[in-house]
Amino acid sequence: MIELKGISKWYNTGANKTYVLRDVDLIIREGEFVSVMGPSGSGKSTLLNILGMLDEPSEGYQYFMGEAVHLLKEKQKSNLYKKNVGFVFQAYHLIDELTVFENIETPLLYQDVKQSERKAMVADMLDRFNIVGKKDLFPAQLSGGQQQLVGIARALIANPKLLLADEPTGNLNSKQGEEIMQLFRKLNDDGVTIVQVTHSEKNAAYGSRVIDLLDGTII
Amino acid sequence: MWKNYLNITVRNLKRHPLFSFINISGLSIGLALCMLIALYLKDEKSFDMFHSKKDRIYRIVRDDIQPDGTATHDGNTGMKQGPAFKEAIPEIEAFVRIQSERLPVKVGNEVFEQEGMYADSNFFSVFDFPMKQGNPATALSGMYSVVLSEDVAVKLFGRKDALNNTIELPLGDDRAFIPFQVTGIVPHSPLNSSIDITMLLPIQLNQRRDGGDNSWLNFFLNSFVVLNENADPKTVEAKMEKVYTASARDEIREMREKFDFKGEMRYGLQTLKEMHLSTKYVSGNGLKDSSKPIYGNILGGIAIFILLIACINFVNLTLARSLKRAKEIGIRKVVGGERRQIIIQFLGETFLLCLIAFLLAVVLVFLALPVFNVLSGKSLSFAYLFDIKLLLVYLGLFLLTSLLAGFYPAFVLSAFDPVKTLYNRVRYAGKNYLAHSLVVLQFAIAAFLIISTITIYRQFNHLTGMDLGYNDKNLIMLRTEQMKSDRLHTFKNELLKDPSIVSIAGRQGGSWYTVAKVDGKSMDFALEVLDTTRFETYQIPLVKGRNLSPSFPSDSTSSVLVNEEFVRRAGWKDINGKQVDFFYDSLKYDVVGVVRDHHYESLAEKIGPQLFIMHPKYSYGELAIKVKEGQGAKAIDHIRKVSKELFPLVPFNYEYKDVTNKRQYEVEEKFQKIISYSAIMAIFISCIGLFGLASLAAEKRTKEIGIRKVLGDSVLGISSRLSIRFLQLVMIAVVIAIPAAWYALNTWLENYPFRINIGAGVFVFTVFILVLIALLTTGYQSLKAARANPVKSLRSE
Repeated sequence: MIELKGISKWYNTGANKTYVLRDVDLIIREGEFVSVMGPSGSGKSTLLNILGMLDEPSEGYQYFMGEAVHLLKEKQKSNLYKKNVGFVFQAYHLIDELTVFENIETPLLYQDVKQSERKAMVADMLDRFNIVGKKDLFPAQLSGGQQQLVGIARALIANPKLLLADEPTGNLNSKQGEEIMQLFRKLNDDGVTIVQVTHSEKNAAYGSRVIDLLDGTII
Repeated sequence: MWKNYLNITVRNLKRHPLFSFINISGLSIGLALCMLIALYLKDEKSFDMFHSKKDRIYRIVRDDIQPDGTATHDGNTGMKQGPAFKEAIPEIEAFVRIQSERLPVKVGNEVFEQEGMYADSNFFSVFDFPMKQGNPATALSGMYSVVLSEDVAVKLFGRKDALNNTIELPLGDDRAFIPFQVTGIVPHSPLNSSIDITMLLPIQLNQRRDGGDNSWLNFFLNSFVVLNENADPKTVEAKMEKVYTASARDEIREMREKFDFKGEMRYGLQTLKEMHLSTKYVSGNGLKDSSKPIYGNILGGIAIFILLIACINFVNLTLARSLKRAKEIGIRKVVGGERRQIIIQFLGETFLLCLIAFLLAVVLVFLALPVFNVLSGKSLSFAYLFDIKLLLVYLGLFLLTSLLAGFYPAFVLSAFDPVKTLYNRVRYAGKNYLAHSLVVLQFAIAAFLIISTITIYRQFNHLTGMDLGYNDKNLIMLRTEQMKSDRLHTFKNELLKDPSIVSIAGRQGGSWYTVAKVDGKSMDFALEVLDTTRFETYQIPLVKGRNLSPSFPSDSTSSVLVNEEFVRRAGWKDINGKQVDFFYDSLKYDVVGVVRDHHYESLAEKIGPQLFIMHPKYSYGELAIKVKEGQGAKAIDHIRKVSKELFPLVPFNYEYKDVTNKRQYEVEEKFQKIISYSAIMAIFISCIGLFGLASLAAEKRTKEIGIRKVLGDSVLGISSRLSIRFLQLVMIAVVIAIPAAWYALNTWLENYPFRINIGAGVFVFTVFILVLIALLTTGYQSLKAARANPVKSLRSE
């Protein structure tokens, strides 16, 4: 599904380059559940963002579902990304001023889905995650675990093929974390490819493969 | 999608009431002012535009060119020009002359004073004034007919339908009252008409019995001509020049010989459409005052300034708040939002906010219109707003404001990189040049307006408080009918019987300028018809010589007094044996005394040479009556009683001289008020903007403040650190505003011969005020931030 070849990412700090990723080669197949591990600053999040086309590598080749991402224009990249990638964050990143329902609905707005259809899709998702009763609440009225559920529901609403999660349980207690991981396993069983960044061995164990990063290099 | 945007907008507005208030109130005040000014300008521009022949109607005007090249411009003509030009120039289809006069009107036994106007009988075919009753084509054909406006009909008869009633006017032989028949009733003339019909009379009644009507050189009325559809006004002007030189040749020659007249006279055409906003050719004699376009321009400038300040607030606050919105933008981008869509969202938000502000502005206009009418001297009505052109202007204003306020923030915000915003990697450059320059611009405008307010106020006080050279307190001016000396003295003696009256002096009424020869050279001067008690009543001291006096019987026919300026112009060292030669009357007068200069005209004029004369051929039309302090009401009762006995047919008409004098500065007074209100408004909007910015700055620096506090900085130290940056901005603004204001105000002050000098005081004061305001607005926020518990602010990081 995804192939990275010789991907590097650096920032210019003064006269020097500070590498975040250095010469990374990586292949992720459809249906995989990959966990990216490594200490703080090893480049995990950057790798995830590059995989999700949110961030651009400084050099290297990148293929996503057969398309050469490094050759695509902004607009094409955005279209490819919109249809196929869902993001989950450690800090949930819900829009504070929108209700649970509206938060989940947002990605559909950008894909020109009709209103009636949107309603049905969101209702479906609320049902699936057992949060129908919370649909009119605002994020601040929910617990962390509930917020992360909404975040995942939003990531999945447009039926992406790839789910990228950056420490999805980092802000949750162990019970909530476990529930989220079980949900991920179930999603993976349903055919969603997942790449997650995690600090926890336990969470990594839910996946089918672990990638260890150190100072921007896969070891 | 739009519902989502709308929800976000409305919830954001509710969640941050302070910023919503600042943005919306600022914008609505700015918009309301712009709307008011647009109304004002529209009214100004619409003057006289309702006449269907407006493109073909011209006023005959004159340029008098002196030998030294200077020209004076005048809109007045005489009875001669209209008919003479019409006869000789085929392009001229018709002419109408109008002239106003205040007349006593007798209905039954009651006498009213009424503004009247003489006009040619084709008046209603040239101008589009509808008639309620009567036939417009013939209403002014009869010699003794009169057309009244409905208001005047109500005033005279107590009802509107006064057709065929009779009034009496003093237009018979020797000004005897003769009857006139009401042949037409017209509604109140439009407010945006230069001609205001009250009482319209045939112009034949205004004929000069001394043959002055046949003169080319006698100017006292307004002449309008209607040109053919295809006529070129330039060609007509050229033809007028020819007609004038040919027909007036003898008269001009005589004038040159007799009066030492050296100037050239050119006739021209001024379109009706331009008349109201032109200050070149003075109005009067039946035309409403034209207005100076500069006031409209200044008003417009102020409104745009204030709207600009409000837009700046909007941009600054939106950008400053972008910290909070950054996360939302990042998320929207992550879930698939494109930059274009984000731009649309934020522009949409601005539009919604502007719409709210716009609706509020309409309400504000409705509420403020009465005040604005008083300030601007207009009678604009709210209904004027519903004019398609004006609505388009407002729509344009609304769109412009939305774009001005929304464009920049939308583009900046939509460019945020989601990776950076979501991972808290956004680093805000410490120096926000744009926001800071905008704050500087705001405060520069505010400073400019404060300096202007103070200066205009001081100039106004200077004008109204200046020593006039005479005492205008407790001085009543009474208009009378024309009296010769003996009648004046009877009147005076009767009046002086009441102890509340101190002294009385007669004068001619109105101002009068003439020419005479001094040491063989001709000199222009103001002529005052004198009564021996004149200087005692006005309290003007004699500098040299003596006053005219009954004990010198020859004084009235052979002596005059002059003022100091006259002596200076004449170049005299003393007045012994000096004479003034009224060559055209073959009369010579000895100068027997000099009085101190005093301001006989408004302070907008320099004191010119003035001559006082008592010759019996002149008559008196006005009395200056000095009354005892605090006994004015008693004196007026007495004056009314005596006037009624002696002049039963003259309406009682008086005014205190200090009130009249003060009224001369009405324009300055209104202007000063308008500027001060706008300054207050500008300062208010700038301050709420600064308040918002300060609160955001404090919020942005919460962490820094927390750290400083933990490290032992004091509350005072921290809050002054926060305030000092804003103070710097205000100081820069003042430095920019001072030279600009100095230049603009000096230019304005140059219009006044008696003006104040702009000292350093006003600048120091402005700096002080602005610093104080800035400290108060930012201080609260800074203090609040500095007193917050550092544990809280640091933990949330």
